Amino acid sequence: MDDFLSRPEFQSAVIPFIVGLLFYFGLRKLSAYAWGWAVFSAFLVSAILINGFTLTPLTGTRKIILLILASFIVVALVRHLITNSNLQRMLLPVIGVAALIWVFWKILIRMGFLGTATFLAGGVGLLLWLLWAFDRIGNDDVRLHGAGFSLLLGTGLAVTAGASALLGQLTLSLAAASGGVFLAWVLVGKASGSSSSSAVTGGFTYALAAALLGLAGVMLARLPWYTLIPLAAIPSATGLVPKITDSRFINALVTNIPGLIIALATYFWVWRLGGASAGY
Amino acid sequence: MKKALLLTTLLTLPASAVLADSYTVDPDHTYVSFAINHLGFSTMRGKFNQQSGSLEYDFAAKVAMVTIEIDAASIDTGHTKRDQHLNSPDFLNVAENPTISFKSTKAGWNGNKLDSVTGDLTILGVSKPVTLKINSMHCGEHPFSKKQVCGFDAEASIKRSDFGVNYGLPALGEVLDLQIELEATKN
Repeated sequence: MDDFLSRPEFQSAVIPFIVGLLFYFGLRKLSAYAWGWAVFSAFLVSAILINGFTLTPLTGTRKIILLILASFIVVALVRHLITNSNLQRMLLPVIGVAALIWVFWKILIRMGFLGTATFLAGGVGLLLWLLWAFDRIGNDDVRLHGAGFSLLLGTGLAVTAGASALLGQLTLSLAAASGGVFLAWVLVGKASGSSSSSAVTGGFTYALAAALLGLAGVMLARLPWYTLIPLAAIPSATGLVPKITDSRFINALVTNIPGLIIALATYFWVWRLGGASAGY
Repeated sequence: MKKALLLTTLLTLPASAVLADSYTVDPDHTYVSFAINHLGFSTMRGKFNQQSGSLEYDFAAKVAMVTIEIDAASIDTGHTKRDQHLNSPDFLNVAENPTISFKSTKAGWNGNKLDSVTGDLTILGVSKPVTLKINSMHCGEHPFSKKQVCGFDAEASIKRSDFGVNYGLPALGEVLDLQIELEATKN
């Protein structure tokens, strides 16, 4: 059993996918935020398998794990307490930027003014762009969750190729969790009580996780920063393909083709940049 | 007032620090290397190419204090991609923790022979007590520079999980055998 649980493919793909799928089935009729709690649960299980229970030393990677888990709780609270979507649009970016600075603080204080300014401009810009892009598709569950899955998949593959298996595993586990929940949604439909007023919050975790993990790949590993640019286009790309039927299944496949193409192409690009050499 | 200040300063310094000679680590003749089991197949070796530090040493007073600071990003296993991986958050996370350090707290003597040096080893920001076993030590005049030089060979074994370097366990070895060959020139 220990061998099974310690294998990366189970930690980062099989287990979070199955947990996400099953939790969505179980929570769909109990909570309007079933999607969020299902992904939260699946990622929590995966993060424990990958990272263990320890949070010390509190590295940037562990901060990211905490923030991703906290983001689900933040979204649940915001949905419950702040119904004004404009207020949500103002609050969530502030929370996201604060999270970004907290994760990379140890590095920022050692960088010169120019380096810090460049990182903040790029990092905050990336985060705000993703929040905006997801907000635009927030009313469409197929595009929203499909884009989230493709973005996390592409980011996870790119970060893995950029020399951090740990960051890659965490990103891919979140992608697998999202994929499992997405499949469950395709099969059985949305959760009871979920509404378009939650559109603004729908993409928060996707945007925050992809930004933090992608930037960690750049700052802590060796992911070239410019490889995040095509990944950032994924949410917008899912809006390019029109829906052709009322079938959730076919729409889920068709509308997410551009995002998946971008994700896989970016991974291949990063792999080639790394010299395309074999492992060691 | 000045006398009181001087007296206070002298009293708060350890007597050993006042008496011992100070040496600066010679980075060109200091080697920090390690060995670790690789997946049960063989022993993988590596070293760090950049380090600095100091030595306080007085044989007569039985004083030996050593501080070593290692540039974690200078790790060298002879394979660029592996070194990049070791620098990543998976292992040494050098972007957040650029320095590995050892700061001694006490010395162990066996008669007139320096036997061991115990101190705090800090990796990934985590400090744990580690004892370096001194296999050999010699101080004397350098034949070319004519300066007083001290050098020693030391070794220790640590568990990387004690410092939070957990990635790849248990497949990739947990025990790291450290070897330090150090030379320091008197200031």
